[in-house]
Parts: sequence; structure tokens; C-alpha cells
Amino acid sequence: MASIIAAEGPTIRISGAGSSPDLLSVAADADVRAVEVGSTGVPALEPLVTVTDGDETAFHTACSTAEMDTIVASVAAGSDVRAAEPDAVAEHDPDTARFPAVDLSGLGGDRRRMLGGAGWRRPTNPADHEAAGGFGDPGPDAVLAAGEAIHGRGWGDICQDTPLTPTWETVRDTGGDPAVVVNGHGNPADALLLASAPYDVLDGATAVADCVGAEAVIVYASTADERAVETVREAAAEHPEGSPAIDVVAGPAEYRAAEPTMALEAVEGNHRLEARIRPPGPESVGLHGQPTVLHTPRTLAQLSASLRDGDADATRAVTVQGDVAAPVTVELAASATLADAVDAVAVDGEFKAACVGGRFGGLTRDLDVSIAPEPLTDADLGTEGTVQILAADRCVLEFVGKRAQFAADENCGRCVPCREGTTQLAELLRDIYDGSYAPEDIEELVRVMDTSSICAFGVEAGRPARTALAEFEAELQAHADGTCPTDSCPETVEVT
Amino acid sequence: MSSDHAHEDAPPLTEDIAPGTAADPAVGGPDRATVTVDGVEVTVAAGSTLLDAVEAVDTADSVPALCSYDRQEIGPRSECRTCMVETEADGIVPACSHPAEDGMAVSTDAEAAAEARDVNLDLVLSNHNLRCTTCGKNGRCELQDAAIDEEVEEPRYGVLDDREEYEPLDDTSSFIQIDRNKCILCNRCVDACNDVQVEGVLRMEGSGQDTRIGFQSDAETMEDSTCVSCGHCATVCPTGSLVEKGIEDATTIPLPGFTQKNSIGKSVESSGRSKGPMTPKKRDADRCESGDPSANGSTPNAPAAEDVADDGWAGFEGGEWP
Ligand code: SF4
Ligand code: SF4
Ligand code: SF4
Ligand code: FES
Repeated sequence: MASIIAAEGPTIRISGAGSSPDLLSVAADADVRAVEVGSTGVPALEPLVTVTDGDETAFHTACSTAEMDTIVASVAAGSDVRAAEPDAVAEHDPDTARFPAVDLSGLGGDRRRMLGGAGWRRPTNPADHEAAGGFGDPGPDAVLAAGEAIHGRGWGDICQDTPLTPTWETVRDTGGDPAVVVNGHGNPADALLLASAPYDVLDGATAVADCVGAEAVIVYASTADERAVETVREAAAEHPEGSPAIDVVAGPAEYRAAEPTMALEAVEGNHRLEARIRPPGPESVGLHGQPTVLHTPRTLAQLSASLRDGDADATRAVTVQGDVAAPVTVELAASATLADAVDAVAVDGEFKAACVGGRFGGLTRDLDVSIAPEPLTDADLGTEGTVQILAADRCVLEFVGKRAQFAADENCGRCVPCREGTTQLAELLRDIYDGSYAPEDIEELVRVMDTSSICAFGVEAGRPARTALAEFEAELQAHADGTCPTDSCPETVEVT
Repeated sequence: MSSDHAHEDAPPLTEDIAPGTAADPAVGGPDRATVTVDGVEVTVAAGSTLLDAVEAVDTADSVPALCSYDRQEIGPRSECRTCMVETEADGIVPACSHPAEDGMAVSTDAEAAAEARDVNLDLVLSNHNLRCTTCGKNGRCELQDAAIDEEVEEPRYGVLDDREEYEPLDDTSSFIQIDRNKCILCNRCVDACNDVQVEGVLRMEGSGQDTRIGFQSDAETMEDSTCVSCGHCATVCPTGSLVEKGIEDATTIPLPGFTQKNSIGKSVESSGRSKGPMTPKKRDADRCESGDPSANGSTPNAPAAEDVADDGWAGFEGGEWP
């Protein structure tokens, strides 16, 4: 199949899962070139239909079949892309292989280097990827050099917030039969990359595999992310190079299954998932006992973007969800702030706080924090790349209580500080409703979970409670005194 | 599955053993190492952990290391985290599974490490039926020893003492009684059964608060399991969770009317079928084979498994569960 990048004549792209077959058939009936591309990460705008002619692209958001009729008729008549009353128009390099910057919420800015293929190229079409400069052969030295400047993204990455190269060197020096695992489990941006731009991820993975001498790349994702699993499977089958072999494994849809060593357990076929003790970590003793590199799709897409265009480690993918009209995944410069990310969504009600950095992220009212790992860590927030909005009527105690109970229900059961600690944490938070608020006890427990749990699950499980203590002291105290300031748990509050 | 035992030319049994535990790496240091513990130098053999070094000196603070066994092919499970020590190189680490490497410096009395050991021991007790007076291991229990050594008077999170929350006693086997309310999930019995005896009977199953020892054959009771009554699991068990029948009341304090069995309330009794030879033949080979391995571990299927207490957050409406 030929590439659609810089094709002669107009091209219609239909982005977003679900309604595309209908829209596609409208175009097919009129014999107009239309293709299905992946989601852009901004589902609120989808189905998003774009019409590109030369150096202009018109954008039609939330496109209906009726609108599609108009668009197709206009294209068939050879009209200007602006004729069908688009919601926005952008001008760009006619050969652009990346989604052009446009003034639409979530799609603005010029930072879509990692997500640039999402919504622009056909996810499983090698020709599109090749036209975008993909399937390069960077060579181990270039890869090692690029990895110095890139920090691993996400709790599923064995290099979370640390440079990649030292880990690759360990894998190389350990010898044996190394493996590369792509851990796409559990994070929305990772699932988006696998579903919309899988070759950008696979390029990174094969580059690492060549660099460390691995014969196999295993892509691991949650069974819940069906589209990601299917798409990356198809992309692997269409992958032009035979070596290394690419395998796709779907693991259980449980939160803990994203933890790197539990991911290895799932790939190896252990049905009961528990974390492995370390050291030594997977970089020395990993998949089937062999040295293993394990990165998230975000990390690998950064690597392939950097190998293609230099400019390493420059952007971050952030997913904004919670009390919002529709969740959004945006790509921002690392110097951007949480406020910039939140700007991409419509908050449902008045903003109160955000839980930053995954399920066990930290709570903050202050969005004037840069999304780079260091400032986030300094503010006791997480670096997982998600921001969950809490609107004004959301009770903080209820929120952190549920996070603690979730942790108590979902942990692997292996270590005491996490298994028993989360249970006691939920108890201590529940006791607040009975008038007993003991911040020192909560702090002590959370500190010990943090210093002594086996894996990141237990290390981070106390963070929502810890940050709530720091940021929302008055609200917690109010519950102990018998009132819920947001009035959302009136029946439960009883002081004895 | 363990039923392969019956066939002469079956593959080695260990290949099919599914203990439900993670494939941990070997944890000892690669070489002989000299380590400083609380200022005292000690040299340990290749393959040693920091706990070997800690145990070789008279430490500033005591390190209970409750779940450690470290003999035969058992452990380290490294789950109780009552052996946390501070290292210069890696911060606070569990001594029992941290490799001893040359030049490491360890302190046992660092505040954060001492706090972690203390809190974690209380967390172990928080999920423990602490009725020592009716327990068959009274006086020879490692948890009791640790609690006494650490001078635990009132564990900060209390102990398991609500009759509604007890798992029924498994009193079905003629040879071993299981009281899961006393289990600290140290995994020794599972390793003893799988790695030492190569019987493949026991496994770790479930997750979170439902984590428990169970049977690889998906049997619900010890009587229905493929146990050959070798007793090794009971020998290595640090608590009163696995006790040989006949001595389950041997060390209890004779209070009229109180026994280990009625201290809990409910127990699952023998069907009467297992009386007989000391080593009953493993039966129902096909039961084992039909055990669907994919069922392994998600939901414990013991009679009490449904008794999950109302979590108290259930009444909330409108809160979107993450
Ligand atoms: S921290 Fe939690 S999830 Fe991780 S090993 Fe311990 S019990 Fe399992
Ligand atoms: S007594 Fe039964 S369960 Fe215990 S180790 Fe022996 S075979 Fe395994
Ligand atoms: S039954 Fe005993 S040996 Fe087995 S896990 Fe529980 S405490 Fe450890
Ligand atoms: S003895 Fe080290 S964790 Fe239990």
C-alpha cells in the first residue's frame, strides 16, 4: 500500500474508534480517498475528520454522517478544503508526517513529536511509517548516546525517571540471552501509542534490542486495552524486518499487573501475579532468568523520536481525567506546567484539586508545577503522566479513602507493609468519620510502607493520604468534628 | 501436577509444580564479602545476604527477621520486612534478601530502619489470631518469640479477634491441622512441600487480604488435597498455623472449656474418609488433572472466602471508583 503522507490530491483522514466504518463508507461511495487513522488522544473531538490538500488541512470535529456527506461532496467537486465549513484550518509543510499544530483544545502547540503519528498515519501501515522517517537503522552507538538523555517514563518502566543507557549496559554486560519487553499495561498514553502509532514504539524497541543483542521483543498490554493489543499485533505482523521477532502478550486487566516484575510473571505465564524481590533487578535476572530491558511505550517512542530528529527527552505525555467532560492525552514540552495540561480539558464544575501521577499520585491545589519529574517529585506528586481532576464537590477524605481501599483490595499480597499496611491505612482513614483523626499514626504508617514495601505499588500506595494530610488538613479535621465540608458524605458522618 | 508421580516415565515433577509464587532471582552476593555492621567488620561467604552478616555480630538493635528461614531450599520470601536495616549505599533494605557485597556498611539502629521493623511486626500481628494460650505452638512459636524480644505490649493496630473474620480451622486431615488465622504467609510450608519434598501440594493463592495458603489441586481441604502427610510443612512453620495432629493442644494452658478448636468458633471437620494408613495414597488423580491452572489464585475457594467484611466505603454514592 502506498503512503498517504504528501499524496497527490486531497486525503481525508478519519480519526477515532467507533464510528469510522460509517464515515469511511460515505467516502468509498463517492470514490474519494479516505483512510482510517488512530485516535489523536483527544476523544472529545472524535470522530475527527481532516481534509488535507497540499499544505492545508481542514478539521471537522465530532463529525456526523451528514457532515461527512457534505465534506465528501465538497472534496469530490474539487473545492477548497475550507469550503465545507471546517471547525479549524491549519497550514503546514505539505510533506508533514506529523499531525499539524492546530488551534483546537488538546491539539494545539507544536510538541506532538511522539504522538505526531497518532491521527495522521495509518497505525499498521509500514509505508506511512517509512515516509515519516521510520524503520531507520541507528546502530548501537547512536542508541547508547540517545539513551543518556532520555529518562524512562511511567511506573511500568525499569528506568522510571532515570537515564536508559546504564541499564542497557548492564544488560549487555550480563550476557546470556537478553530480552526486550515493551510494557504497555495500564497507562492511557501507552495504550494510545500502541493503538495509534505502534511503529514508533516498535522502532524504539528494535533499536534497543539491536543495541543489547536481544533476539526477542515482547509487547505486553492489558486485555482491557483491546484496540492496543489488536493494533500492535497487526503492526508486528506487517513489520518489514524479520529480526528481532516481535511477540504480543496480553496480561490480566489488574492494576498491579503493570508493575515491571509482575509484568514478567504474566509474560512467563504465572497466573498468580506477585512482585519479585530485588536486587538483582530484571536488568540482570529478568524474563526466564535472562537479562531484560523493560520500557514503556512512552519511553520507547521518545527514543525513536530522538533517534530520528535529535532533541532528546523534550516532551511528556499527560492524560487529564477525572471530573472532566472527556479525558484527554496531550503532549507537552517538559517545561510546561500542570495548568497547561488542565487547559486541554473542560473541567466538570469548579476545579478543587488534582491527583497527579497515577492512582497513587499526590494531591495538589497548585497547578503551577512543571511536569518534569524533578519538580513533580519535589512537590510530592507522581510522575506517571496522569492528572485526575477533583471538582469542588468532591470530598477529599472519600477520595483518599477509596484509594487506600483500592490499594488494600488490589495489592499482590506478598509483603506485609503493603498488604497489611494498606488495610490499616484504610482503617485509620475510616476512623476519622468516628471522630478519631490521628495524623501522626497515618504519617508513620505511610512512611514505613514507603521505605519497606517490595515494589512501587506499596511504596506509592500511601501518597494520596500523605498529600491529603499536608494539603487538606482542615477538611480532614472537619470530618473528625462531624461535618463534611463538601456535603458529599452527610449520612456517614456521625460523631460518637 | 503431582499426579504425574504415579507414572514412571513422567517428566520431572518440579516442572509442573505451580506454587503461585514469583520466580525470584537468587539473592546472595556474588563473592565473599567483608561488611561492616554497626561498626564491626564481618566477612561472609559468597552467596550471603546482609542478614548473614547481621546475625554474625552483636548488633546495636535487634533485628527480628521473622519470615527468614534460610535453610534447605526454603526462602528468602522477604515478605515480613521486620529485618529492615540501613545501608550507606542503598538506604533502607531488607537484610534477609539483600546481597552482601564487599565494603557495605550497615546500621541496625538507624531510626527509619528501627521504625520500619517495629511497625511491620505490628502489621503482622494486626492480622493474627493471638490466642496463644490455646495454641499448639505456644512456647515454640517464632512470632511469639519475636513479639517478646521486641517487647511488644500493645500492637498499634490490634490483633485479629473478631469471630466473624476468622477463617474456619481446617481440621480435616488426620495428620495436620491448619489454622490460617495464625499464618504469617512466610511461604516456608509451600517451599518445603514443593522444593524440598517435591510433593507439589501447597501453593500461595489469592491476593490482598485474601492471600492464603491453599492447594495446587484446587482442593478445598487438607483431607481432599494430595498431601502425603510427610509433615515437613508443619516442621518448618514458624507459627501455630500448621500443627501436627495429636499435639495441637500439647502446649495450651489448660483452661476448662477452652481449646484451640473452639477458640475460633468454626472448623471444617474430616469427612471420615481419610482415616487409615499413615500415608494415604494420593487419590483422585483426575481431580488434579482437571484443575484448571488458569483458576489458580484469583479467588480462594474456602468456605469462609465469602465472608468479606463490608468495607464501609460502600455507602458512598457519586464517588467514581478510580
Ligand atoms: S508492595 Fe504490594 S504489590 Fe508490591 S510486592 Fe508488596 S504486597 Fe505486592
Ligand atoms: S505434609 Fe503434605 S502438605 Fe505438608 S509438606 Fe508434606 S506433602 Fe506437603
Ligand atoms: S502456614 Fe506456616 S509456614 Fe505456611 S505460610 Fe503460614 S506461617 Fe508460613
Ligand atoms: S525476614 Fe526479611 S522480610 Fe521477613
